[in-house]
Amino acid sequence: MKFIKTHLSLIFPLVAILLGLEFFIVFDRTTDSFEKSLQNEYTMMVVSKNEMSIDDFQSWDKHILRVEEIKKSKILSSVNIDLENDQGTKLKDSLPNFYSVKLDSYLSISELAEVKSNLKKSEGITRIETFNSVYQSQYELFSFIKFSFHTFIIFMTVIGFFLILKQMEVWNFLHAQRMKVMEIFGASLFLRSKVLINLAIIDAVLSAIITSGIFFAIQNLWVRDTQMNILKENVESVFYFSDFFILLFASIFVVLVSVFLVVINVKDE
Amino acid sequence: MSNNIITAENLTLAYDSTDKIINNASFSIKKGDFVFITGPSGSGKSTLLKAFYGNLKPQEGELEIGGLSMLNINKNKLQELRTHLGIVFQDYKLINEWTVEKNVVLPLWIAGYSAEVQSNQAKRLLHHVKLTGKEDKYPMELSGGEQQRVGVARAMAKNPFLILADEPTGNLDEYSSNVIWDLMENACQQLDTTVVVVTHRIPMMFNIPYRHFSIDEGGNIYEVH
Repeated sequence: MKFIKTHLSLIFPLVAILLGLEFFIVFDRTTDSFEKSLQNEYTMMVVSKNEMSIDDFQSWDKHILRVEEIKKSKILSSVNIDLENDQGTKLKDSLPNFYSVKLDSYLSISELAEVKSNLKKSEGITRIETFNSVYQSQYELFSFIKFSFHTFIIFMTVIGFFLILKQMEVWNFLHAQRMKVMEIFGASLFLRSKVLINLAIIDAVLSAIITSGIFFAIQNLWVRDTQMNILKENVESVFYFSDFFILLFASIFVVLVSVFLVVINVKDE
Repeated sequence: MSNNIITAENLTLAYDSTDKIINNASFSIKKGDFVFITGPSGSGKSTLLKAFYGNLKPQEGELEIGGLSMLNINKNKLQELRTHLGIVFQDYKLINEWTVEKNVVLPLWIAGYSAEVQSNQAKRLLHHVKLTGKEDKYPMELSGGEQQRVGVARAMAKNPFLILADEPTGNLDEYSSNVIWDLMENACQQLDTTVVVVTHRIPMMFNIPYRHFSIDEGGNIYEVH
């Protein structure tokens, strides 16, 4: 019972920190692909008096990734104008050039406004449509969710650290006498900390396994059946096997720092 | 080459700069000496012992243990020195979560001896302190006298060149006290180990020659002849 209690009191805060870390990794991974899909779906419309190449666009703003010219004939045929007669040909010749512009990343509203103002500096460009309202609502919702998640994760991590510090105080109390005796008999810092290191590494491994297990279960028991598109399209991103090693490394790092803090705080009698 | 195990020259010990515990003491203790240090409570007997195992640095003067100056000793040297000392505490300082056998072989474990050597030495020492059969017990399952005998066995596990004992028989029954004094006498006579014992009272029945230092209330040390 004492053994279980000793381990659980460190495993709980460690799992809290690892859950935070894994949530962070998974959230960034899934939102990254969502961000890419938003980015792929988004285009700006640019109207120009002159013909412009991708290099012309990029010389005005570095965020321009791809430019596609919208054929004038396509525009005219979509409004049922016959291009075979003279009137149609004249109309076609008088139309400006239309371009669909894709950006290199999912920009904020202010960055988008900056792209617009950069492009407007070009004398040839007469009109730019950024479809701001749709973009803004998507962007703000996305930013809000991201911010909320990050806040939650930071909060969890802070709580976890406080619990670990509390546990360290208990460890300090439990192990100080043994470490003092060992020091008096000439034990090195490593030998003095060996029991704590063993205890802490066992807890670190268990915590990494528990956290990986939780995410594996979320992936296979919940995400595969969910109706949420962002998750459904990213089932595999919820847990990679390599995440276990990231979690293991992180938990070992946290416990070793904690053990070090305990050991250096044990004073000579 | 000097035969001194402990040399103090104008040694002053203090926990802070104003309150001197040991005052300007000079003495030497040779290899194979059995030394009693007596004095009233609070006179600085235990403080002097702490300085001998490097838990308190001299404030003034010089103190050498086994040829090493305790004034400028670094952590590694001190660690190394301590592996050659045997220390017995009045409050035993056993590790409660370890068995008796593991406690006894602590100095051997620190020095990296094999499990077989540790086990053999534990059996031999526990036989000497009359605790055969209690190898797997935990300190809390033993009486005070038995715990102190474990402490003495631990101090002797690695055949140290110097044994430092702080009131080793303070509150013990006669049987445990006799076992402990016998062991220390034997270590001194047969192994030429230097033994320094801090105590209130020198035992009545002591069988080997010894030296006696006394500390007065002013922290002055003098040898009683």
